Amino acid sequence: MNKEERLIKRYKAEKRFQFYGKAAIFMALLFLVVFLTKIFSTGYTAFQKTWLVIPVNYNADLLYLDPDKKPTTEDINDADFYEFGIETFISLDPDASEDQIMELKKMFAFTFERELKYYLLDNPDSFGKTVDVKLTASDDLDQVFKGNYPRDIPENRRRASDYQLKIFDKLNEDGRVISEFNASFFTNADSREAELAGIASSFMGSLFSILVCLSIAFPVALLAAVYLEEFAPKNRFTDFIEVNINNLAAVPSIVFGLLGLGVLLAVFGLPRSTPLVGGITLSLMTLPTIIIAARASLKAVPPSIREAALAMGASRMQTTMHHTVPLALPGTLSGTIIGLAQALGETAPLILIGMVAFVNTIPGTPMDPAASLPVQIYIWAESAERGFVEKVSACIMVLLFFLIFMNLGAQLIRHKFEKKWN
Amino acid sequence: MNKIEAKNVDVYYGAKQALFDINMDIEANKVTALIGPSGCGKSTFLRCLNRMNDVIDICKVSGVVKINDYDINQKDTDVVRLREKVGMIFQKPNPFPKTIYENISYGPEIHGIAQSKSEMDNIVEESLRKAALWEEVKDRIHEPGTGLSGGQQQRLCIARTISIKPEVILMDEPCSALDPIATAQIEELIDELRKEHTIIIVTHSMSQAARVSQNTGFFHLGKLIEVGSTDKIFKNPTQQQTQDYITGRFG
Repeated sequence: MNKEERLIKRYKAEKRFQFYGKAAIFMALLFLVVFLTKIFSTGYTAFQKTWLVIPVNYNADLLYLDPDKKPTTEDINDADFYEFGIETFISLDPDASEDQIMELKKMFAFTFERELKYYLLDNPDSFGKTVDVKLTASDDLDQVFKGNYPRDIPENRRRASDYQLKIFDKLNEDGRVISEFNASFFTNADSREAELAGIASSFMGSLFSILVCLSIAFPVALLAAVYLEEFAPKNRFTDFIEVNINNLAAVPSIVFGLLGLGVLLAVFGLPRSTPLVGGITLSLMTLPTIIIAARASLKAVPPSIREAALAMGASRMQTTMHHTVPLALPGTLSGTIIGLAQALGETAPLILIGMVAFVNTIPGTPMDPAASLPVQIYIWAESAERGFVEKVSACIMVLLFFLIFMNLGAQLIRHKFEKKWN
Repeated sequence: MNKIEAKNVDVYYGAKQALFDINMDIEANKVTALIGPSGCGKSTFLRCLNRMNDVIDICKVSGVVKINDYDINQKDTDVVRLREKVGMIFQKPNPFPKTIYENISYGPEIHGIAQSKSEMDNIVEESLRKAALWEEVKDRIHEPGTGLSGGQQQRLCIARTISIKPEVILMDEPCSALDPIATAQIEELIDELRKEHTIIIVTHSMSQAARVSQNTGFFHLGKLIEVGSTDKIFKNPTQQQTQDYITGRFG
């Protein structure tokens, strides 16, 4: 092989190598696009909610109220809206048989009683009149309307019966089926009924967990990193600690969950299923990540700055607090945010400490039972109802939004505030 | 009068001995230059004078270093107060990544020298004037000190050091990162500063030593070979090694 041929070969090898690199990037992007497309196409419908607008006759007799007197709030609260609701549904098809009445009822979310009551409470003038009221459609009809549910499978294997579909289509023709932004997805807690389930409890659970995690992990990690990097003598013992911190960062998160279960719940008796315990468990997991980031940023502060401060007669602590730590803070903060983003997406340890429980209330403090966003995804993904499929994707979208938001924040801090040393 | 007296100073980096039995007296209000080839221990000796070697874990210093007749190598010596008296300028300008003002006010602040804002303003201005930097930066003292040129940064560091009025200023190759013009400015400044401070300067440049110093010490392989007036060292050294070094035969 002569020189010329070898040169050509080298050029070819380089071209090939670049091609492999580009192909790898293309593959990664392709996976990302497929993944995001799938989630968005499945999930976007969860942000829409289907309502059935039906004529309701707030007749005094049907409500067992005095027709001559305007009912007080108390009267309305005491009235029986279940029977009233059934009567209202029958008005959709006066010839309905006993079974069909039940089917009519199942076209609506079980909250119809409350919805009918609240409408009257909000519009007391409707008393004695027939008005159009917006009621939440059942998840089956919701899915049918969104086109997520095939109508052509045999009736006995379909959740929405032919009769329900007939009534539904008639309502639809009259323009009585409307689709609106699903605010309740963000304001409702979890529910067994897909049409009512929301992420408020898991969102608050995640928020509280992350806050607890941050308030424990950040100060502890910063102090540990500062001590190890700036004060501790370099000997076997500190080497041992360093190795163990790195090991801790590699421990599978489920192990921390077991620790939380065994120590926080069993020994200290902290309340089960609460963001407090979740946050403490997550902080154990986040701790090594922040320590490593903080130590790396402290290491990146040039020794000349420390020397400058020491030579000015600053004590070691003044040198650290006035110069080294402030200069290392941007890197530490971005490491912290990355660590918190990991914690936010963590599921396994939270399942072990009981944050997988079905929680249909919105937690007000970290001591109240709650779920978390990733656990909510897990819970819904396990549910059989078709209505939860889109909820899973929607919850993933919310989680991804926060993760991307946090990572962008970390990037921003790094680019904007981190000092460049030449 | 001798400002600093070093007696039998040995320095070890781990098992390696870096300085061997250094005995040296340094006169007050004069510039003493320490010269010698790389790795000869002149910077190590300099750092013995304000105990900056404490920062290095493996470094062990023995012997006596007396400043104003007080041995600074005692266990209970307060290094904070020592460094208040003995300032240091480093090879590479190392201003804090803060404003020019904050760079200078830092020392007076931690030592509680200024009682009021106006007093602090005065100290900042006076220090900058003494470092011959005031005219160049007076309109931007609240801008970052790191935005100045290399020579200006070094003068800022000098201003920072003199803000707490140290008796001794140690300079570790202060011009090695600077261009000839900036170097000339610093050298002029050194001559000015010696009226109020005792200055010890480590330098690689023999011509610089000859220009700025009154006394010179020549180090080689961790030993102080010869010390005396700069005139004598450069014109009539007693040791053959000194002669060889200053005539450029090695180093």
